Amino acid sequence: MAAEPTTRELRELVAEFEFERGHLLPALIEIQERYGYVSREAIEVLARQLRTTPALVYGAVSFYSDFRTEPPPEREIAWCSGPACRLRGGDRIREALQSTLGLPLDSQSEDGAYGLRLGQCNGTCSEAPQLWVDGRVVGDLSVAKAVSIAREVMGDA
Amino acid sequence: MNERFTTIAAEAREHWDAARANGREQVNLCLDTSSLARGGAETLAALQEAVSAKGLNVDIQTTGSWGFCWLEPTLSVRSAAGTRTVLYHSLTPDRVDEFVQTVLIEAGELPELALGVVEGAPSEQIGMLEDHPFMQGQIRRLMANCGQIDPENIDHYLANGGYEGFVQSLEMEPQAIIDVMLESGLGGRGGAGFPAGRKWDFLRNATADPRYLVCNADEGDPGAWVNRVLMEGDPHLIIEGMLIAAMATHAVEGYIYIRHEYPLAIERMNVAVGQARERGLLGEDILGSGKTFDLVVFTGAGSYVCGEETGLINSIDGYRGMPRIRPPFPAQAGLWNLPTNVNNVETYANAPLVMRHGAEWWSSVSDDEAKGTKMFTISGAVNQPGCVEIPFGLSVRDLLEKYGGGTPGGVALKGYQPGGPLSGVLSAEEADLPLTLAPFRDRGLFLGSGGIVFFDETTSVVDLCTYFLGFAEDESCGRCTTCFQGTQRAVEILRRIGNGGGREADLDTFEDLIQTMSWSNCLHGSFAMTTVKLALRYFRDEFETLIREKRDPTRSLPGMITYEITSAGDPALAEAAAICPTEAIVEEGSRYGIVDELCIRCGACAEVAPNAVTVRDRFV
Repeated sequence: MAAEPTTRELRELVAEFEFERGHLLPALIEIQERYGYVSREAIEVLARQLRTTPALVYGAVSFYSDFRTEPPPEREIAWCSGPACRLRGGDRIREALQSTLGLPLDSQSEDGAYGLRLGQCNGTCSEAPQLWVDGRVVGDLSVAKAVSIAREVMGDA
Repeated sequence: MNERFTTIAAEAREHWDAARANGREQVNLCLDTSSLARGGAETLAALQEAVSAKGLNVDIQTTGSWGFCWLEPTLSVRSAAGTRTVLYHSLTPDRVDEFVQTVLIEAGELPELALGVVEGAPSEQIGMLEDHPFMQGQIRRLMANCGQIDPENIDHYLANGGYEGFVQSLEMEPQAIIDVMLESGLGGRGGAGFPAGRKWDFLRNATADPRYLVCNADEGDPGAWVNRVLMEGDPHLIIEGMLIAAMATHAVEGYIYIRHEYPLAIERMNVAVGQARERGLLGEDILGSGKTFDLVVFTGAGSYVCGEETGLINSIDGYRGMPRIRPPFPAQAGLWNLPTNVNNVETYANAPLVMRHGAEWWSSVSDDEAKGTKMFTISGAVNQPGCVEIPFGLSVRDLLEKYGGGTPGGVALKGYQPGGPLSGVLSAEEADLPLTLAPFRDRGLFLGSGGIVFFDETTSVVDLCTYFLGFAEDESCGRCTTCFQGTQRAVEILRRIGNGGGREADLDTFEDLIQTMSWSNCLHGSFAMTTVKLALRYFRDEFETLIREKRDPTRSLPGMITYEITSAGDPALAEAAAICPTEAIVEEGSRYGIVDELCIRCGACAEVAPNAVTVRDRFV
């Protein structure tokens, strides 16, 4: 994942996309896959490429929960918001994670070292309640185990 | 039969037969998202390493899911002679060594991990897979290939009758294809059950060109993963279904819209589309017929309302995924305002079976009014979260007991959600309802797309309402005030009730919201209050107890309880104090106490010091 994209890189990355062919989402996904987020400049470059307005591009960025507008944290806990997890204490796990990390959902520490994100159910409900720690499923959790994981991710363990 | 296809299918069968008669043992490991979550990738790596290090005469392949999601990774072993196949479960990475030694090297079996015999005769210790309690009564048609073939190998699909239904339709008039679909009685599997043949007929009769097909694989209902099982297990079945629909409607391009939470399904659908194109089954001049149809796999980006068909169309078009105001309907003005048909994954996946085996065979699986088989996923308060395929009509209770393995710890069932956050909750007294469309429609809700979530007596119905309304609030697109403000208002009131501040008038406000929100443009807003509506019908006393007595009968709502240390000298309390995320447990001398103002009711202390921490009613 590269750091700050340059305008030229961004232009090259989106050069193949056209607005009338349903390319807005694929272009945004490609930008995020490359850089980890969709920067202000990326929004403007993409709007020019698709011959539309930055407002429309930003409208989509803000509508879909998967897009980020700042670089992702180095380490991230995604909390599963699904019903099977909820029924097994998932919401108490969320409270404990927020308190331990000192973060609300969908935010990250100021130095970008760690973050907490709302994850959507993908049907691995046999693992409930679960988290994704840096993308890996950690399931069959207790609140206490989740607190320990959060402390480890913060570097406090 | 199309000559090119005859050649392609014969070659595929040759490859398939040759691979199965190569004198090597065959290990088929299920590698789907559920298996990956339970270490499937590590199991695969360990198996590959052991097989190559020991120079074993074994082929390792990967497959989709058999539906035993709670027992992944599952794996079948077919003997070198091809006479016996046994399916095993729970092959976690730590068990690979034992498995390799016993099964692959010593040619023995592991009865304690066996689910059953797939091919060959049962033994005293291992019965037939079809006699396994989880498999009895299931009719695997859509899932016939799941677990049995490599989803990334088109030969496997072709060798098992794949694309034969499409090739029949290639030589039929569109009207004739639609007649077969109508005769079968295939209804849309996304929830509403609208006849697929009629929907296709709308597109066939459209007046503009080009026309499009969309496959709704946005499966956003939390607790539902039937579409994922199909896409990860047998992606060509969906492609073939869309091809048949294209022949019936003159559509030239199709989009498979998959939520980004399903990266493996996206990958496998992409591989399958590429392979179908290579074999001349997609693209221009399909199999020399002069007909054109191609597919794009389109990735969503996180939005529940994109599962609504016009929201989905807007999303592909390049706008915020806000559902449109209808009419016009997609069959007149869909993608790029051109005629479009949208069906669910499972709907398209049924079309090849109808074409291949005929409408009568397809619909005669049960006497139920709703025809064909239906896939369900079972989750929540169950012992066996998994995926099944059964004819319509089984009772909800049987689904829970037979396939879900009952509730954990034998706690009584309190109720269930039949199909997604908009489908509401029903109480255990409605558990004898048959799983088919009519009884749910009669109660003012949809059966939904197949994700059934059970909850037991430990669950607060107000917590469930808060959860589902909170979900609806988060995912509201913002078009209708009734929806985006209505869900907000409902959540505020539910939270207040859950914190002991409920008022008698709140129940009337809910009635107002149920009325006004039903005016919303799409189902998201108009069905968002279904959970509250049905909760008030079945569990009204729980709301009343909370409001009037300020007591939560389940003692689970954080706002209605306090944690208290009842055995202050318990040595486990040191650990409880250490784990508490808010430092609410303080030591005074050698005794511990909880500072209630700091406590967030997460319950971590009660987990590590269960004998010293007691949950009490906050207001009673």
